[in-house]
Amino acid sequence: MNKVSSRRFLAVFAVVVLLVGTLAGAGFAEEKVIKIGTLFPLTGPVATAGQRCRAAVETAVEVINNSYPNMNIPLAAQEGILGGHKIVLVHADHQGKPDIGKAEAERLFNQEKVYAIIGSYNSAVTKPASFVAEMQKKIFMCGCSSSAALTERGFKYFFRMAPTDKTESHEFVEFMKWMNETRGSDFKTVGIIYENTEFGKHAADEGKAAAKDAGFEVVADVPFSPGATSMNSEVQTLKAADPDVVFGACLGGDYTLWVRTMKELNWLPKAALNYCTGYQDPMITRQLGDDANYFSGGMGYAPQFAHLMPDVAPVEAIYKEKTTPSVPFDSDSIQEAVAMFILAQAIEKAGTLDYDTVAKTLHENVWDSPLSLGGKVEFAPDGQNIRARSFLTQLQDGEYTIIYPEEFMQAEPVVPMVPWDKR
Amino acid sequence: MKRKIERKDWLLFALIILFALLPAIPGIRENSLTMHVILMIFLMASMSQSWNIVGGYCGQVSFGHSVFFGIGAYGAAMAVVKYGMTPWPGALAGAFLAAGIAVLISWPVFRLSGHYFAIATFAIVEIFNRLFMVWYWVGGAIGLDYSITEQGIVNFVWYQSKVGYYYGALVLLGLVFGVVRWIERHRIGYYLRAVREGQETAEALGVDSTKAKLSAMAVSAFLAALCGAFFAQYNYRVDPPMVMSLDMSMKFVLVTILGGTGTLFGPLVGAAVLVPLQEYSRAFLGGLGGGVDLIIFGLLIILVVVKQPKGVVGIFSYLRRRMVERESVGKEND
Amino acid sequence: MIVFLQVMVNGILNGLVYALVATGLSLIWGVMDVINFAHGDYLMVAMYTSFWIGALLGVDPVLSWIVSGAFLFLIGALTYKLIIRYTVGRSAISALLATFGLSMFLKNVCLYLFSPNFRLLSKTVLGGKTIETGGVIFPVPQLVTALGALVVIVLVYYMVKKTRLGWAIQATAMDKEAAELMGIDTERIYLLVFGLGGSCVGIAGGLLPSYLAVHPEVGLLFGLLAFVIVAMGGFGSIPGALFAALLVGLVESFSGFFIAPVFKYVAVFALYLLVVMVRPKGLFGW
Repeated sequence: MNKVSSRRFLAVFAVVVLLVGTLAGAGFAEEKVIKIGTLFPLTGPVATAGQRCRAAVETAVEVINNSYPNMNIPLAAQEGILGGHKIVLVHADHQGKPDIGKAEAERLFNQEKVYAIIGSYNSAVTKPASFVAEMQKKIFMCGCSSSAALTERGFKYFFRMAPTDKTESHEFVEFMKWMNETRGSDFKTVGIIYENTEFGKHAADEGKAAAKDAGFEVVADVPFSPGATSMNSEVQTLKAADPDVVFGACLGGDYTLWVRTMKELNWLPKAALNYCTGYQDPMITRQLGDDANYFSGGMGYAPQFAHLMPDVAPVEAIYKEKTTPSVPFDSDSIQEAVAMFILAQAIEKAGTLDYDTVAKTLHENVWDSPLSLGGKVEFAPDGQNIRARSFLTQLQDGEYTIIYPEEFMQAEPVVPMVPWDKR
Repeated sequence: MKRKIERKDWLLFALIILFALLPAIPGIRENSLTMHVILMIFLMASMSQSWNIVGGYCGQVSFGHSVFFGIGAYGAAMAVVKYGMTPWPGALAGAFLAAGIAVLISWPVFRLSGHYFAIATFAIVEIFNRLFMVWYWVGGAIGLDYSITEQGIVNFVWYQSKVGYYYGALVLLGLVFGVVRWIERHRIGYYLRAVREGQETAEALGVDSTKAKLSAMAVSAFLAALCGAFFAQYNYRVDPPMVMSLDMSMKFVLVTILGGTGTLFGPLVGAAVLVPLQEYSRAFLGGLGGGVDLIIFGLLIILVVVKQPKGVVGIFSYLRRRMVERESVGKEND
Repeated sequence: MIVFLQVMVNGILNGLVYALVATGLSLIWGVMDVINFAHGDYLMVAMYTSFWIGALLGVDPVLSWIVSGAFLFLIGALTYKLIIRYTVGRSAISALLATFGLSMFLKNVCLYLFSPNFRLLSKTVLGGKTIETGGVIFPVPQLVTALGALVVIVLVYYMVKKTRLGWAIQATAMDKEAAELMGIDTERIYLLVFGLGGSCVGIAGGLLPSYLAVHPEVGLLFGLLAFVIVAMGGFGSIPGALFAALLVGLVESFSGFFIAPVFKYVAVFALYLLVVMVRPKGLFGW
């Protein structure tokens, strides 16, 4: 007994000593380097999106650090920022879990000594991770987490590029009203299908509120557990309520399953409007083929927007090399690249790394952002990019086609959607 | 009954005092990752020790402990987020509620044996998880997020330094281990072990096995809920997948089994091995993407089980046996 | 009425697929008393196998299930040889722990190799086809998968009950030592059972990509449901697993439609609790 205990004790002690030892070597610093942390879900259920977001930030850093005189992008022509400082990325994986995200954010700031963090895709993780940043008075750049609550917390060092669910919901409703007035679509009822997660629930709540405010009736409210094995009940519930318009918040595999199940059960609404979800994944058209057509959704970027955003193409070429399988930017990942660019521009303009100065600079200026729809980024005091825009697109012949707002319309919206048996 | 203080108790005291002194070393106190890892070891050890009461000493393998953990977490978070109070009454209420629910659920479920029991407990986790996902009074899928409050023991939040959390976790560790040590030495502990070895035999000897199992479950759930409350305070957020999931339940089981079930120090040893492994492999390899850290982690778990099914504590006793053998062999050769 | 029938059809079709996944688990569980936590990940591996055969060689899932069934036999046998063998005769928990590690390993190896992208075969023989009779729609991919599942389950059941090999398996399950005394090589039986268990889930996984997208996390829910089904049916009972799977499919479908989709798995898990409250050894258990 005696010996066992002391051995156990020794073992525990050894582990503790090991802990201390491993970390002793972490404190070196290099000159002319600014470390930026990325925090995305590189594993777990939404790893696809996370890995693309990381590639987007890497792309932006590539452009900033090296000289690309032919690109019409801020900071592209010069090498580095602040007189030759190179940006070095430190990547972290939060697996889609808030507790891990929080721990990793702390590690990035305290151990890796990163200057700022870009992340975190899942709003549920962005909340505690940006909380850490705010408490340390350090900057957190959020690309595409869409929960409106993020910018309602009064944080001073938090900046978000993408439009929120609220903005998108509003846009959906505007589109419906416009269709009713100009095209006689006779939209009356709305159904909402969403994954029952932090993201989906937020989106659905905003969608419901917006639809009710505009006088539409919400006839179906269908949450489902993500990673579903079948979506028959969900689609049948929708089919039974038969809403004119469906707002969808289904990610990845659930989106394809949803579309295919609708085809099997031979039902479609007049229009299907999707949040920033599976709909805007560039792989969708490759996978679903013709079945993906006539669905719609809000998008901040698609390769088909090239005429509006001519300067994206050369940057996108770099991004395509960094993704496997190679994909163009999507509206989520491009926002993470924007986050990196805007942060670098702000540091350059502020001429210092002082957090308060950089944050103040971020707040006080309107930023040129060729990667953003509309070309500008400007932050409200709450950190939301008030220039964030998205267009409603519809997949027509496998191409994302702008259908709203009218002045940017590329093709007449196909409403009602072409039924399955007529395709 | 008077019991003498055994070597185990001294070891426990010594460890806790040692842990209490650790933050005095500046290299540790100022290193937030080290602090994080050590306090996660404390938390994980406390969690799995609370599981150990039912799973180890009593031999009822429950995958349901994340329910109790979650109720504790929600208790604290509801008090803070919904009612703007300090987390303390919430944590306590959560703990009592968890104990009550544990008894209520376990009473019928304990009739099941072996795998039927195990599957039933994980069905319960799934049910609770999904119900909490749509129970909007407690935040539903959106979860509960802390807003910024004053730091300190009253609100049990600290933002810059981890010293507060560290001692909080240490107190939790001391409490849980103390309770288990008490159980181990008292009549209830013998009852539990008797039930583990054979319920019929135990009952024949006059042990009320249902009562023994239920009281073990209640204590276990109470302690697990306290751990949950700590977890919520530490992460400033609660949502069902975070606290009330099979993933979380697996952690309770994994750590204990890895360390050695039904032993006092097993959970601590298991946590001391598993937590650094997990945290450092993620820190060094997680950023590569592609789950390299998790691949290695998975392999290591397999390796430990295949090579040493009695847990890490088993490895120690194996080493000890080897040493003793070698000594005796040496003596013979002399 | 048509809606009612439709909901029922969906439930049965899904239930049969669950049944095939569960049969593999039931076999392993019943014979060896081993909880294979990596079972859902076997399914995922099988789906990837079938997907890649389809994507690279252009072979349709209606054929490639043969390959994925064989491949998973190999994986199952390897699992036994390299891991489970060392846990036999020890507490059931150690096997569970090891397979938990295996699950983590398989999931992340696939993530590493194939990226986390959702992959779907876009052009399959069956994809998108439906048969409609009297207003009730039968999606062909699900129908074929379900019928395939039924055939395989019947074959496995026949093999266990009527062949010499099956008797050897049953003997081993009942009493390992006695079986050894009778000259049965239990080591080989275990290997075979694990392989067969893998095959069952391999065939199911081979058929699924004709309508379900593949990604590293796809097996999770299937695995969970398989656990519940096997326990609900009674360990080791193949008819039990089939019956329980159909019940789960129907409960999922009906509660999903008539209560709310978000409650469908709550209903399934509650059903399990209810069943074991009444029959603590499962529906067909003894």
